[in-house]
Amino acid sequence: MKPILLQGHERSITQIKYNREGDLLFSVAKDTVANAWYSVNGERLGTYNGHTGAVWCVDCDWDTKNVLTGSADNSCRLWDCETGKQLALLNTSSAVRTCGFDFSGNIIMFSTDKQMGYQCYLNFFDLRDPQQIEDNNPYLSVPCNESKITSAVWGPLGEFVIAGHENGEISQFSAKSGEALKKVKEHTKQINDIQSSVDLTMVITASKDNSAKLFDSTSLENIKTFRTERPVNSAAISPIKDHVVMGGGQEAMDVTTTSTRIGKFEARFFHAAYEEEFGRVKGHFGPINCVAFHPDGKSYSSGGEDGYVRIHYFDPQYFDFELEA
Amino acid sequence: MRNTVDMVDDPEYEEEEEPSFSDPEDFVDDVEDEELLEDILREKPQETDGIDSVVVVDNVPQVGPERLEKLKNVIHKIFSKFGKITTEFYPEADGTTKGYIFLEYSSPNQALEAVKNADGYKLDKQHTFRVNLFTDFDKYMNISDEWDPPAKQPFKDFGNMRHWIEDPDCRDQYSVIYEAGERTAIFANDAKEPILAEERARWTETYVRWSPKGTYLATFHQRGIALWGGEKFKQIQRFSHQGVSLIDFSPCERYVVTFSPLMDTKEDPQAIIIWDILTGQKKRGFHCESSAHWPIFKWSHDGKFFARMTQDTLSIYETPSMGLLDKKSLKINGIKDFSWSPGDNIIAFWVPEDKDIPARVTLMQMPSRQEIRVDRTPKGTQGVVTNFEIFRMREKQVPVDVVEMKESIIAFAWEPNGSKFAVLHGESPRINASFYHVKNNGKIELIKMFDKQQANSIFWSPQGQFMVLAGLRSMNGALAFVDTSDCTMMNIAEHYMASDVEWDPTGRYVVTSVSWWSHKVDNAYWVWTFQGRLLQKNNKDRFCQLLWRPRPPTLLSADQIKMIKKDLKKYSKTFEQKDRLSQSKASKELVDKRRTMLDDYRRYREEALKNYQEQKSMRLELRGGVDTDELDSNVDDWEEETIEFFCDEKIIALDDL
Repeated sequence: MKPILLQGHERSITQIKYNREGDLLFSVAKDTVANAWYSVNGERLGTYNGHTGAVWCVDCDWDTKNVLTGSADNSCRLWDCETGKQLALLNTSSAVRTCGFDFSGNIIMFSTDKQMGYQCYLNFFDLRDPQQIEDNNPYLSVPCNESKITSAVWGPLGEFVIAGHENGEISQFSAKSGEALKKVKEHTKQINDIQSSVDLTMVITASKDNSAKLFDSTSLENIKTFRTERPVNSAAISPIKDHVVMGGGQEAMDVTTTSTRIGKFEARFFHAAYEEEFGRVKGHFGPINCVAFHPDGKSYSSGGEDGYVRIHYFDPQYFDFELEA
Repeated sequence: MRNTVDMVDDPEYEEEEEPSFSDPEDFVDDVEDEELLEDILREKPQETDGIDSVVVVDNVPQVGPERLEKLKNVIHKIFSKFGKITTEFYPEADGTTKGYIFLEYSSPNQALEAVKNADGYKLDKQHTFRVNLFTDFDKYMNISDEWDPPAKQPFKDFGNMRHWIEDPDCRDQYSVIYEAGERTAIFANDAKEPILAEERARWTETYVRWSPKGTYLATFHQRGIALWGGEKFKQIQRFSHQGVSLIDFSPCERYVVTFSPLMDTKEDPQAIIIWDILTGQKKRGFHCESSAHWPIFKWSHDGKFFARMTQDTLSIYETPSMGLLDKKSLKINGIKDFSWSPGDNIIAFWVPEDKDIPARVTLMQMPSRQEIRVDRTPKGTQGVVTNFEIFRMREKQVPVDVVEMKESIIAFAWEPNGSKFAVLHGESPRINASFYHVKNNGKIELIKMFDKQQANSIFWSPQGQFMVLAGLRSMNGALAFVDTSDCTMMNIAEHYMASDVEWDPTGRYVVTSVSWWSHKVDNAYWVWTFQGRLLQKNNKDRFCQLLWRPRPPTLLSADQIKMIKKDLKKYSKTFEQKDRLSQSKASKELVDKRRTMLDDYRRYREEALKNYQEQKSMRLELRGGVDTDELDSNVDDWEEETIEFFCDEKIIALDDL
C-alpha cells in the first residue's frame, strides 16, 4: 500500500509518537511546531502552538488527555490534547531533550541538556499537586554529573526511568529517590533513542555506534544486538511480531556525500530473535530521525530529516513472512 | 659559555627590572665543543699530511715504454674528472708497468670521489680498475693474521613459504586493512564468507604490499619496511630506511627497492635503496631528484636489468652487480617516459616534438643497445587526434599499425594472455567503450563499441576474456561485467562510491571496495563472481585497502594445461558436488543457529510475560481500574464513530444513461 505522507513541518522531524490506542500520531520538529494527526488517513487534528524553539520531544498520557512537549526554548509544556490549550508552562535553564508520562499519567519526567554552564538534570513533577506546577518546583530533581542524558523512557510501573547517555551508557533512576539503581555500558557511542515494547518489559536503544540493542527493562540485561553500517537514530519494537524497525542516517557533515538519488534513505526491519535484517523500506529524502510502530502492529511511521512523516500500512505478505527455522 | 655582561648594574637600565642573562654563579660548563659544533667542526680545514689524498689503482694494463704515454693520457682523462691530479707514479718492473699506479689529488675529498666512482671501471674486456685509498692499505695490512671464522648464523627456518598455495580448496588470500589502518588481516577467500588466516593490530603503519609472486607481505613503518611470509607470517627480513614511503619489488622477488623522501645527503645517497631480500644486505643507494612517478626504477621482466629516467637521461643498471650498464647512461634529450617489454629485454621510450625534431618512439634492445625501431611522427600534427600505434614486436622490422581515435582517450588496457584491448574514449557523459582484436596477420579490428557508459577505468581479468568497466569515485561506482569472447554485457550493477576494483589472481572473483581513504562512510568490500553475481558484502569499520595475494607462475607446461582443459568436465563434476555439500551444510548451520536463538528468545519472553501477569493488579491500580493490557480490553468504553472518506470520483455523462 502506498504510504501516507504527512506534510506539516518545515524542518526536520525530531520525534513522533502514537497515543496508546493508536488513533492519533503526534509529530514534533525543529520548526517549533507540534502536530497531532489521525493515523488512519493522515488528516491533521490540530497544532499545539506556543513553543519558540525547536521541539525535541513529545509524549501523550495513556488516556489521551494530555500532551507533553519539551523544547530548545528552555521550557516543557503541558497541553490539553483535544483543545490544544496550553495547561502548564515549566521553565528550565537549558533545553529540554526528552520527556514522558509515567504509566499512571500522573507523574511527568523530563531531562535538560548540559549547556551554558548548566548541568544535566532529570526532573520529576507530580501533576496531582498543582502547587508543584505553579511554583515550577519539581518534587525530585536528579543531577546527572557524568555523561548527559540524551534519551529516556519510564519503567513498567513508574518506579524508575531508564535513561540513555551521551557516552553510550544506560542507567535506571528511581522516581522516588533519584538514586541511580543500575548502570550498564553496552554501546560505545551516544544513545540517540530509547523506546519500550508495548508491554514495557523490554526497551530498544538506538545508538550512534551503528547498532541497536534490546534490553530487559528491569535487569538491563542486553538480550539482542542489531548491527548496521550507519548510525542508528531511532528503533522500535513491533507489538505483535518478533520484529524491530530501525531508522538512521549518517553524520551531519557526511550528508552531502551520500547518494543524491531520490528516496535512498531506508527504514530497516530486523528479526528480533535471529538479529538478521529481512527488509527495507525506502522513501525518505534524508536521514530518518524517528520510527514508531502503531500499537496494533499493522502499520508503522517514520519521521525524517526531510520534514516528512510517512505512515506505512503493511501488506499481507509482511504478516505471513517467516525466516527459515 | 662565557658570562655575558651583567646588565643589572648598568645605570641606564635602572628603571626597568631587566632579567639577568648571566649564568648562575656555580654554573659549570659541561658541554663539549664537539657536541655543540659537531657539524661545523666537521668542515674545519685540516692539515693534509698527504697520504689521505693518494689513491692506488689496480688492474692497470701492463705496458712497455712505447705505450706508456698513451696509457698516462687515458688514465689522466679518466681520473682528472674527480679533481686535480698533483702527482702520479707508475712503478715499473722488467721494462713494463707493474699493473698498479699511484695518483695524488689536491685534497682527500677528491681522492674519495675517485674511489667511489672509478672503482669497478671497465677500461676494456680484460681490465677493470680497482681503486682504493692509500690509507685503506694501511688498514688492510694491519688486519690480524689470525682469522676468526664468522660465527655461523643459525638457519632460520621460516617454514614453507608457499604454504598458502597448498590450500586444498584453492582459496586465494587477500590482505585487508581496516579501522583506519589500526588492524590488518589476511583472509582466505571462500565464496560463502572470508576465512580469517591472520590478524594483527598495528601490523603496518600506512599500507601493505605483496611481492609479485605472493611470497612476501611488506609492511611499512617509520624506521623502514618488514617482510613477512610463511604459514604463520613470521618476520623474514627487515630493512631499515627511515621514513620509507614507497617500495617496489623486482619481478623475480630477489630485490626490493625502497624510497624515502627524507634520507638524502650529498655524500651518501639514501633516498632510494635497493636491497637483496634473502641476505638483507643493502646493495646500492641512489639519489632521487623527483618522486614524480613511482616506481622510479622499472625492472625488466626477468629481473636482469632495471632502469630509471631522469632529466634527459635513461640510466640502465644490471643485476647482481647493481652497476650502470656499460658504465654509461643514455643521453636522450627530452625523454618523457619509458617502459620494458613484458616478454623481452627491450626498452621502449618516447620523446615529444621539440622545435625542429619530430616526436619519436624508439625500441631498444638490451644489453646491446641496438635500436630496433624508431618511429617518427610527422611534424606539426596538432589537434586532439590521438592515435594508437601498435608495434608488432615479434616480426621482422617490427611493423606498425595505426588505429585512429577521434576522441580523447580516458583509459586503455591490453587483455592479459590475449590479443584484445579495450579503450574508453569520449567525454563524460558520452563515454564509449570499444573493444579491438589484433588478428594474426596484424590487422586491428573493432569488435564492438558500447556507448554512453558510466565508466572511467578498465579492469581485465588476469586470465583474460572477462573484464569489468567501472565508474569509480566521481562516477558513483557503476559496474559493467563484460564477456569479451562475444562482447556481451553479463551484468550491470553498482557498488555505490566504489573506489577500487581488484581481480583475484585466478580471475574467478572480483572485489569492489569503498575505501575509508576516499570516502568516510559505507566502508566495505563486496565480492562478486567474474560474471557479476554478488556473493558477499563485507562491512569493515573504516575499511582502507584490500590486496589479493599474487600467485607464483604456474608449474604446469602448456601441454598439461591443454589436457586439463579437455578433461574439465570430469573435474567439474567433483567440484560441483563439493560446492553443493558445503552450501547445504551452511544452510543447515544457519537453520540450527536460528532455531537455538529463537528458542532462547521465546524462553526469555515467557519469563517476562509471567512477571507481567503478576504485576497486573498494580497496573489496574495505577490507571484507576481501567484494564489497558490489550487494545480491546475495555471494549465497553469505546465509542463508535462513523467517518466518511473520499475514495474515488467517477464522472458519468448523462448521454450514456
